[in-house]
Amino acid sequence: MTRSTKIFKYVGKRLLQGIPIILAIVIINFFLLNLAEGDAVDVLAGEAGSATPEYMEQLRKKFGLDQPLPVQLMVYLKNVLSLDLGYSFRHDMPVNELIYDRFAATGLLMASTIILAVGFGILLGLLAAVRLNTWKDAVITVFALITYATPLFWVGLMMIVVFSLNLGWFPTSGMTNVAAFYEGWDYVVDVSRHLVLPTITLSLFYLALYTRMMRASMLEQYGQDYVVTARAKGLTERRITYVHVLRNALLPVVTMAGVQVGALIGGSVIVESVFAWPGLGMLAFESLFARDLNLLLGIFLLSSMLVVVVNLIVDIIYCFLDPRIEVN
Amino acid sequence: MKKVLASILMAGSLLLGGAAANADKSGGTLSFLVQPEPPTLASYISTSGPIGLVMPKVYEGLFDYNNDGTMVPILAESYSASADGKTVTFNLRKGVKWHDGKPFTSADVQFTVMDVLKKVHPRGPNSFREVTSIDTPNDHTAIFNLKKPAPYMMRSFAAYESPMVPKHLLEGKDIKSAPLANNPVGTGPFKFVEWKKGQYIRLDKNKDYWQKGLPHLDRIVGRFIPDASTRTAAMENGEVLYAAYNAIPNIDAIRLKERDDIDVTTEGYSMINPMALIEFNTKEGPFVDPAIRRAISVAIDRRFMIDTIFFGYGKPATSALSSNFKATNLHAEMPNYPEKGDKAAANAILDKAGYKRDGDGVRLKAVLDLIPYGEDWRRAGEYLKQALGDIGIQLELRYEDVPTWLKRVYHRYDFQMNVNYFYQLPDPVLGVHRHYGTDQIRKGTHFVNSSRYSNPKLDALLDSGAGEPDAAKRTAAYKEIQQILADDMPVVNLFELEFLVVYNTKLKGAYGSAMGAYGSFREAYLDD
Repeated sequence: MTRSTKIFKYVGKRLLQGIPIILAIVIINFFLLNLAEGDAVDVLAGEAGSATPEYMEQLRKKFGLDQPLPVQLMVYLKNVLSLDLGYSFRHDMPVNELIYDRFAATGLLMASTIILAVGFGILLGLLAAVRLNTWKDAVITVFALITYATPLFWVGLMMIVVFSLNLGWFPTSGMTNVAAFYEGWDYVVDVSRHLVLPTITLSLFYLALYTRMMRASMLEQYGQDYVVTARAKGLTERRITYVHVLRNALLPVVTMAGVQVGALIGGSVIVESVFAWPGLGMLAFESLFARDLNLLLGIFLLSSMLVVVVNLIVDIIYCFLDPRIEVN
Repeated sequence: MKKVLASILMAGSLLLGGAAANADKSGGTLSFLVQPEPPTLASYISTSGPIGLVMPKVYEGLFDYNNDGTMVPILAESYSASADGKTVTFNLRKGVKWHDGKPFTSADVQFTVMDVLKKVHPRGPNSFREVTSIDTPNDHTAIFNLKKPAPYMMRSFAAYESPMVPKHLLEGKDIKSAPLANNPVGTGPFKFVEWKKGQYIRLDKNKDYWQKGLPHLDRIVGRFIPDASTRTAAMENGEVLYAAYNAIPNIDAIRLKERDDIDVTTEGYSMINPMALIEFNTKEGPFVDPAIRRAISVAIDRRFMIDTIFFGYGKPATSALSSNFKATNLHAEMPNYPEKGDKAAANAILDKAGYKRDGDGVRLKAVLDLIPYGEDWRRAGEYLKQALGDIGIQLELRYEDVPTWLKRVYHRYDFQMNVNYFYQLPDPVLGVHRHYGTDQIRKGTHFVNSSRYSNPKLDALLDSGAGEPDAAKRTAAYKEIQQILADDMPVVNLFELEFLVVYNTKLKGAYGSAMGAYGSFREAYLDD
């Protein structure tokens, strides 16, 4: 069997294995969320100021919340299997539509953050390891420590104070300039300008993590036997670092990045909130307080699928980074 | 015999004439803060605050109200009431069109009040409870037939309270699930364009608005920014120009006020009349005895709470009614409401009632629930814990999320005392009665009589207060009501909240309406 057919079969098998995992996640989430006191009708009625019990009963009936839990679960599972995530009563919209609408914003923020954090993290970690115990190493290590230890919301607010209020380079919040409603190329530029501060803020935390990890991983690899062998062969330090050590040192960093993609959806709540970025994290957060369980379950389902897929991708990247790892 | 209110017409035409004369005000986009994002746009079903910020720009009411309380004709040009107060005739404006081009007629008024507001609106059944039918002799006349006179009804015709909705888009449909909800079609100065979830609601100028020359603005955008500090930054940066209902917290508003381009006002809330208060469980637990509740009212330093927690914005309560009801002669100052608190007097009340202190100086223990609407209320709870601790009432604070809290207080009555605030609205019948009437003990309904206080004498007075057309008799009835409440204290009123409007000074013309942020903004313009 060639390597590509092997990978192909492997992907198919892993995706099949993912289905029961995701179903289990859906069922557990369903029961966990139903443990919370109050339901969507209570919140809607509470916000309205006053509503009669008859009206609330009517709403419950309409939403299907008057059914026993196992029935509600079966209905939900049936819908999920037909790729229908149900209806958000709070937003009065199908969940599919809501999530689709917000996923673009989250995807944009996630992708730019991962690229920035992993890219610079690897670069800085590499630099620190190569220049071990010099001032460069010290500066990078201290920088990583500070950004890792600083709360995200504070970094975000400081970014706004410095770059929006004082320097006026970037807008404080949102995804587009709502006074202008740009179209075409102007729209792309507008969104990019709005993306800068949230991306930097969210990246800083992860950047620190990857920097420290990359540095440690590089140092560990330097002590391995194969590096001694390479030196004995007379390879230059440059070649040893960039061809042999770097490649091996990347493995744990890639693993970590894979795990964190799932966390990024939730972890961006703070950044989304500070910068009013219309992503999924904020939507999930609001849905929790509104007891909008269908929407919440939909978002959880999406992020569990994302984690399964990204982990699969990471596994495949492994075997390219390190040919000794084989898929089977 | 009919008495035509000519002064309304005068005030209205002066106002409109003055605005229409200036053509150079036109243009520009106003972005303002809507906090939090509204759950729906159906203002005829929900009175939720953020909906009120947006929808009165799209739907209109029969009247608006100025800051001094005068009525401004909007969809109705004038009204007249019969001598017995049981027939009210509205003369509707001609030439008004819905945003889809269909004409606005008396049938829309009849349908809105009878089939929408009286049935699905949270407060409509109360505002229009005496309305038995509406006659529509022609397209421009609507005659309300009442069981009893309802003087308070005339205060509830603003767009936020009673929006007029198109009959042709709702008739024959399930009103609560009709698609009009999030695709609103009104008669207002702005048309709904788009609701981008998590970002903004966009309204564009209605070019065919019935009042020529209005509105001035080309566009209004309501922005959602979840984080309070970012909202403040957006205001400082000029990205948003207007923020009401404490979207900018007082602590930041005080700072922003110092800037040349930003100002703060407390106007625009007189029809809302928010009152901070403590509800007690009067049926079980430690607060069954009115003496304890009285002692608590006497012990609290209301001035301290206002100055320290709300940065001076608020007025100490002096009775169960807001002092804004002085305008209609309904408010009377009552005993047991000392502005600065009198702990000696409170201790004396408790001693006399026989509540002994134990070795630690504790007379009784209780749990205080706090309205989960932000940090200010937590701080209020911390103050109360300390203040009531001084008179021997040891409190434990409980702060839960909104659904849990609502269930506890209004479904299970599983609470002892609860800090909350109520909108008293433009008339006690609309906002205050729901707190005390026996018929308002409605398990499972939010923001009604959760104290389960029931007093037949008070019920009778509330009834006569609601239906009394004679102003002097009405004043007397409410005085007695306030006396009973100051004595029994099922609810301890703390202070009248003064919400702020924080605005950029280049936004002009948005402040005249008593509805404030719940107004239409049709005369708002940008002065660059």
